[in-house]
Parts: sequence; C-alpha cells; structure tokens
Amino acid sequence: MTDVFAQLGHGFAVAATPINLFFCLVGAICGTLIGVLPGLGPVATISLLLPATYALSPVSAIIMLAGIYYGAQYGGSTTAILVNIPGESTSVVTAIDGYKMAQQGRASEALAIAAIGSFIAGCIGTVVIALLGPPLALMTQQFASPDYFSLMVLGLVSAVVLANGSAFRAIAMIFLGLLLGMVGMDLNTGEARMTFGLVELSDGINFVALVMGLFGVAEVISNLEGTSVRIVNKMRIGTIWPSFSALRGAWGAVLRGTALGTLFGILPGGGATIASFSAYALEKRVAKDRSRFGNGAIEGVAGPESANNAAAQTSFVPLLTMGIPTSATMALMVGALTLHGIAPGPMIISRQPDLFWGLIASMFLGNAMLVIINLPMIGIWVRLLAVPYRLLYLVIVVVCAIGVYSVNNSSFDVYMTVGFSLLGYVLRKLDAEPAPLLMGFVLGPMVEENFRRSLITSHGDPMVFLQRPISLALILISAALLISIMMPTVRQRRVEVFQE
Amino acid sequence: MRSSAGRGNNTDFYSGLLLIAVAIVALLYIRTLSVGTVLAMGPGYFPLGLALVLLGMGLCLAVKGLLAEGSPLGSFHLRPLICILLSFTAFGVLVERAGLIIAILAQVAIAHFASVETRWRQSLVSGVLLAAASAVIFVWLLKIPVDLLP
Repeated sequence: MTDVFAQLGHGFAVAATPINLFFCLVGAICGTLIGVLPGLGPVATISLLLPATYALSPVSAIIMLAGIYYGAQYGGSTTAILVNIPGESTSVVTAIDGYKMAQQGRASEALAIAAIGSFIAGCIGTVVIALLGPPLALMTQQFASPDYFSLMVLGLVSAVVLANGSAFRAIAMIFLGLLLGMVGMDLNTGEARMTFGLVELSDGINFVALVMGLFGVAEVISNLEGTSVRIVNKMRIGTIWPSFSALRGAWGAVLRGTALGTLFGILPGGGATIASFSAYALEKRVAKDRSRFGNGAIEGVAGPESANNAAAQTSFVPLLTMGIPTSATMALMVGALTLHGIAPGPMIISRQPDLFWGLIASMFLGNAMLVIINLPMIGIWVRLLAVPYRLLYLVIVVVCAIGVYSVNNSSFDVYMTVGFSLLGYVLRKLDAEPAPLLMGFVLGPMVEENFRRSLITSHGDPMVFLQRPISLALILISAALLISIMMPTVRQRRVEVFQE
Repeated sequence: MRSSAGRGNNTDFYSGLLLIAVAIVALLYIRTLSVGTVLAMGPGYFPLGLALVLLGMGLCLAVKGLLAEGSPLGSFHLRPLICILLSFTAFGVLVERAGLIIAILAQVAIAHFASVETRWRQSLVSGVLLAAASAVIFVWLLKIPVDLLP
C-alpha cells in the first residue's frame, strides 16, 4: 500500500514537469473541444493527432491522448445539456434529463453537477487503476502463450459486444481486421505477405492511414451528406455553482455512477457508452419517484456523467496491465504506444514506471484542469458551436492529409487513406461498424504470434487452449459473452439500448 | 428501424459479397506463400485460416441476404464521396511535386465542392489561412521534411 503511494508520488513528479503539464492541458482542451463539436468523435481526433505525437516523448504523447479521451467525456455533456445534441455517444442519455433541466432554467445546475460528478468519478477511477494495476500486471506475467491467445480472444469478443447491430457482422469485421493485420513482413521468416509487390506495404498497413480513413475521413463524408443544422443556443447560463440542496440530491447518483462506470471500464465489453446507459437505467430503478425522469431529474445527469468518466479512466486498466485494448479508443492507444516502440503488456509497469505512474498522476491533474476548463469557461465552448461545418471540414481534411503524409513522408500513405476512407464509407452504408475491424487489425500480429507459439509448445495439439486453467477460464468467459449476446432476450435489450 | 428490403438487395447480401471478394483476393495471394504444417507453420498458415473463415462468413451472409429480407442499403451520396477522396488524391500527387502550399490550396479547392453549403470566398480565406498555418506549424515548428513551394 505504502509502495503504491510512493510510486504515485513518483508519477506526480513525472506528470508535473512543465512539458507534461502542458501536453496534459492540450489534451484536455482538445478533448473538450471535440466533445462540444458534434460529428467529431474521440477516435477520429486521436487518430488525427497521432502523427503530431511523433515528436513528443512517449510519456507526453500518452498523457495528451488520454486527456483527449476523458476530456471528450466532459465536453460531450455540455452540448447534450444546452442544445439537446450529445457531442459523444456517451452523453446520449445525459441529454434526456439534462436538456429538460436547461429548459426549466436549471442549465447551470446540470452543467455543474456533470462536471463535478465527472471530476469525482475521474479521481476515484484513477485510484482504482493505481491499486489494481500492479497486482493485475503481476498476475498477467504468469501467462504463457496459450493464455495470451485466449486473452486476445476475449478482447476481440468484447469488440463484438460493443458493436451496434448484428453480432455476426461484427465478428466478420474482426476477421477482416485480423487479415489486414497480416499484411507485411512475416515475423518468423521475414517473407513479405500479401503486399502485392509493393515495397511500401512491407512494414504492414500504416496504422494512421487505416484509422484516419475508416474513422476520420469516412465520418466527414457522411456528415456532408445532409444539410447541416445551425445550432443556436438561447439558454442563458447563470451562476455555475449548484445549490447545496441540488448537490445533496445528486450525491448518491454520483457514487453509484462512479462504481458502475469503474466496473464497466475494466470489464471486456464494457466501455464508457454502455456504462452511461446502465447508470441511467440504475438511477431510474432506485429512484422513489420514477416519473421525475425525463422531466429534469438531476440524478439522470449525475449518474451517467459520472459513469462515463469513470469508465474512460478505468478502461486503461486492461491495456496497461495486460496489453489488450477493450475498445476502439484503447486500440488507438496500442497504436500510439507501438509507434513509440513500447509493446503494451504486463511489463509496462515494471519497465516503464514513468509512463504508467506518470499517466495516472496526469489523470488527476487533467481532471482538475477539466473542471476549470469547463465551468468558468463554458461560454467560450458554447460559442464554438456557431462555427459552421462548411469551414470545419476543410480544416479537418487538410490536417488529416498532412498528418498521414508526415508519418513516413510518403504520398503512398495518403493514397492508402483514400482507399480506407472508401472502405469506411461503404461499411457505414452496410451497417457494419469499423470498430471491431480496428481491434482485429491491432491484435492480429499478436494473435498469430501466440497461436503459433502455443501450438509449437503443445506439439500441435489444439486442446492446449482448454487444458491450462487460465486459458480455459478466459475461453469460457468469451464463450459466455458470445452466447449471451446471441440470446434473444439480451439481443432485444441490446437493440433497445442502442436505439434509445 | 428502416423498412425491410427485398431479397438479394439488402445489407446482408452486399456485406457478404464484400467479404467474399476480399477473401478471394487474399486467397489468390496466399497461394504463393508456403502454408506449412501445424508444427512448422509457414507464413501462409494463419492468413489462410483467416481468409477461409472470412469466405465462409461472407457466403453465409450472402445466402442469408438472398433468402430473407433485410434492411436496405444506405443511399450513397457521390458528391461528397468523390470530392473528398479526390481532394486527398490531389494532395498526395502534388505535395512532393509542387510543394505543400499548392497541395493544400488544391485540396481545399476540390474539397470545397463536396458540400453545397460552402461559399467560395470563405473557402478561399480558409485555404490561404490553412496553408499559412501549416507552413508555420508543420514545416517550421515540427520540421516535416517537405518543400513549401515547387
């Protein structure tokens, strides 16, 4: 226990250096910005800024990218409350009661409780990472290749759970991603695979080009399909601090939301979006008077907002301790770490203590910054909504193009982005989500490596995955998750949740 | 929920076709790789397995789309699609031949036509500002090795 605090102290020393503080602030501001602006999600933004982190040290880079992710959770609630447009999918339920509160003239109360709830949740979530991280990493170090393989399978299954729509198609997308991940040099023989004779592909498909095409550019194209809505905020925002009675009413909801979000962030198949939906459902269930929900209940804002922020923090746990991403955003973090030559896995905590503890400490600082960025400066963010999309998208495409080009200084990567944009757009039209594809792509090489090693150690016996207790447990959990989403009742609920 | 669409003309069918096409291209290439055995896996072993699974899933989806009704394909908007993709291609072609500034101006000019709401005066100003800002940020500060002008 004392050890954890000593380490955390070291983390603060890392995070509080001027350069890291600066990038933490940059991340928090960027996150708030994209959270406020609809039609620009964290996945697209992080991929947009990935090339820019090249010049930074790995610690600064991860601190900034993490700041974008949890910052977006703060910013997303602002537009949900003020103009009934959730900036992020995680704020969809916040809009239900938050916007009602704003209409009743309680906008500042809703905004304040969202920010304070997020702050409390963020701090608690961070403590959980600090306490859970080291023991989990130690446990994972005992893993042999079959266990790792099964862990990857669990990570991939979680992508299916997260996907909106048909589970079968999500699985197909994973396999497509795995196959794309095979492009490039074979690790064992050095032979070029599926490169179609192109030298540019021998190091594999450029991660930044793939992500930017599938998420960033494809999103821009679909946003340009219809006419844009001019958002005008007529709400007057008064004093931003909530009344004492309002705080007392929301107190329980903040803690329940935090607990739920912390849990959902760690579990595979959880994530911030599902956490916020579940928190709203939970608040509705425990409330004495359910009719208040939908009519401006403060718990309906406090619960989901705390939950999504807690989950945004704790979803780093599986990544930093076991090396498996549990969502598309975390898959991007894997990409970012790999770009900096750090293999995500249980060794991060012992080999890169600066990175792990510095990131955790930066989350505390970042959450404090976000409260300041969001509460007194809310007027600035709201005014940003007036920037028309017809100007915004020009900026986005140019930054995308330069960003992709700058990774390897190669025009080929720009052309590849064009290809993946087309694929991303077609997939949207086919109702197939690109997130599972990204997870497959990121995990592909690791899956293959561990599959090969497992079968070599077992002399070709595929039963090895079921004979080791850890591996067996992971496979059983994966199977249970898969079966559960195929079951009619759960399936029905999933459809309802995503449609709400 | 969207209304259901006829057999053979729904997202299931077209997703299936897409997967089958990708799997076939991959399989054609994998033919040239050595597959090996379980004990001595060659570079083609794992990709072959993946491509076969993908082919199978694609066939399932296509058959399902042919036999049952499903949700209809989303409508394609060619104007933003073509303009945005072309704008990136133009950037890629021009950046090494004509320099960053011309590449950005060309990209903005083409992307301008992706939306019906753009006004040429605003786009022109955005383009010039973007080119200037990129020159400062990317070339002077981040030192990306690229020429500004031809």
